[in-house]
Amino acid sequence: MASGGSGKTYSFKVVLLGEGCVGKTSLVLRYCENKFNDKHITTLQASFLTKKLNITGKRVNLAIWDTAGQERFHALGPIYYRDSNGAILVYDITDEDSFQKVKNWVKELRKMLGNEICLCIVGNKIDLDKDRHVSVEEAESYAESVGAKHYHTSAKLNKGIEELFLDLCKRMMETAQAEERLKGNGASQSASSRRGVQIVDDEPQATPAGGCCSSG
Amino acid sequence: MIRKMFRPPNSQVELRAYWRKLKAFVKTLSLQRQMMENLIIAKARQDALHRKMEERRLRLQEEANRRFAALGTVTAEEQEQRILYANVLEYEQDHDWPKLWKANVKKNPDDATLVSGLVSYLLSRSDHPVMKLLRKHQYQVYNRLYPIVNKGLPQSPAPPLRPSRSSHNLLHSGRTEALRKSTRVGGVGDQSFSSNPSLSPSLSRDLNTNCEEEEGEEPCTQVTVDRENSFEDLEQFLTQLDWAPPHGNPDDTGSDSDITLDLSLQPEVDDAHIQELEMRALKEHLKAIVKDIHNAIDQLLSLCLLSFECLNTASSKDLCVASIEEAFFTPLWSPLLALFRKVHRERELAFETSMKLYRNTSPGDVGVPLKLFPQDPGMLQGSYPYESAVQELKLLCKHCCPQRKLECIVRTLRLICACAEDYRCLHEVDSPPRTAAIGADDLLPILSFVALRCECPQLVSECAALEEFIHEGYLIGEEGYCLTSMQSALAYVESLHTAGAHLRTAKLT
Repeated sequence: MASGGSGKTYSFKVVLLGEGCVGKTSLVLRYCENKFNDKHITTLQASFLTKKLNITGKRVNLAIWDTAGQERFHALGPIYYRDSNGAILVYDITDEDSFQKVKNWVKELRKMLGNEICLCIVGNKIDLDKDRHVSVEEAESYAESVGAKHYHTSAKLNKGIEELFLDLCKRMMETAQAEERLKGNGASQSASSRRGVQIVDDEPQATPAGGCCSSG
Repeated sequence: MIRKMFRPPNSQVELRAYWRKLKAFVKTLSLQRQMMENLIIAKARQDALHRKMEERRLRLQEEANRRFAALGTVTAEEQEQRILYANVLEYEQDHDWPKLWKANVKKNPDDATLVSGLVSYLLSRSDHPVMKLLRKHQYQVYNRLYPIVNKGLPQSPAPPLRPSRSSHNLLHSGRTEALRKSTRVGGVGDQSFSSNPSLSPSLSRDLNTNCEEEEGEEPCTQVTVDRENSFEDLEQFLTQLDWAPPHGNPDDTGSDSDITLDLSLQPEVDDAHIQELEMRALKEHLKAIVKDIHNAIDQLLSLCLLSFECLNTASSKDLCVASIEEAFFTPLWSPLLALFRKVHRERELAFETSMKLYRNTSPGDVGVPLKLFPQDPGMLQGSYPYESAVQELKLLCKHCCPQRKLECIVRTLRLICACAEDYRCLHEVDSPPRTAAIGADDLLPILSFVALRCECPQLVSECAALEEFIHEGYLIGEEGYCLTSMQSALAYVESLHTAGAHLRTAKLT
C-alpha cells in the first residue's frame, strides 16, 4: 500500500518515568539534541520528543513521552503508558528513594502491559558516584529479576545515553518481529488493533520460511 | 307438453331477445379481451423496461463483484459494499464529473490542491452515493442520540449547551433542502436500486415483486433507518418524539431545575439504584454509538477510495478521512457531546466544584515552579500568567470536529511551552534557554492551572469524546500526547476539591 523505500518502518512509543529530580528531562534532551540537529525538539520542548533512526537498514520512528513524576498526576498513569513499546525508568544513584519509585513503576507496567514492553532501568548522575546511595549490584540484580536491562548514564557528561536508546530500539524491534511471527504473515495488521507498533510493509510479504528462527 | 312450451311466435320473439343479449355479451367479451390484451402489452413493455434496468444493474453489480473477487467468502458488510459500489458505477454512467476529475488527478498525481479540490467537490455533490451513505449514517446516529439527549440535559454554569432542538434544526436546515432536491431528481426507479442495502443480487427476482415487497416493509421497519430518501418520515418521527411524554427517572427530566451535588446524596436507595441502572444503560448506549460511528467512517472512507482510486495514497487518504470526518461530525457533535456529558456528569460536577474553589489560585498553588511564572503581577500588564493558553483552550468547545479540537489542544500546550520559556527568561536573563527545556514535570502543573482558569467543565466530556475519536495514527504522536496530558490535568483538577490536602503539600514540593 505505502509507496517508495524498501523494508519496514517501525513506530515505537517509549515512556519516560522517574521522580522529579532524577534528570530524565536532561537525559532525553541530551539524546535528541546530540547526534542530530535541533529539529528533533518539537514545540512541546522536552515533554514530547520524536526521533528518526536507521537501525540495521530498518527505519525506526521513536516517540518519547515524558511523564510527570509527581504522585498527584499518577491517577491517569495508565493512559500515558498504554500501547507503549518501551519504558525508560530513571532513578538518581544518589537517591535511594527514587530507586524505590522505579520499583513501583515496574510493578505497575508489568501488571498493565505484561511482558511485551521492554523495560530499561537507568541509574542517572554517575558523575556523582562518590555520593552513590544505590549500589550497582543491588540495581543490576533487581533489574535482572524483573526482566529489565540496567544502564548507567550521566546526562551531564553525556555518558551511556546513546547506548541506552540504541539498545532499547533493538530490543523493541526484536519484540515486534517476534510478535509478527506469532501472528503469522496472514492478516497481521488488523485495522482495529490499537497497538502501538505500526509496521508499514513496503515489500510484498516476506516468506515465512528460512532463517526466521534466530532467537533473541 | 314440451311443444307447448316452444310455440313458434313466442319462441321467435324470445330468440331475438336472446340473440341481442348474446351479441351484447360477445361485444363485452371482445372489449374485455381487448382490454386484457392492452394490459398484457403494457405489462410486457413494463417488464421489458424493468428487465433492461435490471440488466444494467446486474451488469454493474457484476463489475462491482469482479473488483471484490479477490476476497474469498462474502460477509454481509462486503455484500453491502458491493451494492454501494454498484451504485457508484451507476452514478458514474449518469455523471461526467468523476471521470473528468479522475483524469485530472491522474495527469497531476502530486498536485495536493487538485486532490483537496476533488474531495471538497465530492462532498458538495449530495446525490453521489458516498454522500448519500454519509447522510444515511448521520441520520442513523442522530436518531439513536435524539431520544436520550432530549430526555434531559446536565445543567452547568459553563457556556450553556445548545438544546437538542437547535441541533435538530441544524440537521434539518441546509441538508434537508439538498436532500429533497436529490430525492426528486432521483425518481422511483433510482430509489429501488439505491436505497435498499439488503437487496442482494443473488435474489434478483422480478424487480416488480421486489418493489412491492419493499413498499410493504417500509412503514414498519425501514422508515428512518435504511432510507435516506424518506426524510419526511424522519421528520414525522422526530415530531412524534417531541410530543412523547418524558419517561424514565423523574430526576432526569427536571433538566431545567438546578441539579447540584445533592443529587448524589439522594436518601432513597431505590432511586440510587435506578440511577445506577440508568447510568449503566447510558454507558452501554454510548459505547454502541461510538462503535457505530467508527464503522460508519470506515465504510465511508472505503467507499470513497473505491470511487476514486486516485485518492488511495497515504497523504490523500488522510485528507479524505479529515474531510469525511468534518462533514460527518459537524452537525452531530452537539447531540453527541450531550450524551457524553450525561455519562460524565459526576466528573464535570467535581471539576466545577474545584473550579469554584480554586478559580483565583496562583500557578504556584498547583505546583508550578516559581521560575515558570512571574510573581510580580505588574509584569503581566493586567493579565494573568498563561492567559494566552487559557484563551486558546476556551476555543475548544467552539469547534465541531474532533480533529479541530485536537489541534486546539496541541496549540494550547505549545502556547504553554512558549509562555514558560518567556517567563523563565524573565527570571534568568543570562542562562542559555535550552539547557532546561520544560518537561512533563513542569507541563502538567501548568496545564492544570490553565484548565482551572478555563472555567469550562464541559472540557471533561469533550476530552472523553476526543479519546474515542482520535485517530490511531495520531495516538502515539504529538496529538495523542497532548490529549493524554490534558486528560491527566483534568483528572487532577477534578480531584482537587476532595483532596485539599494535596494542594497544600503540592505547594511544598
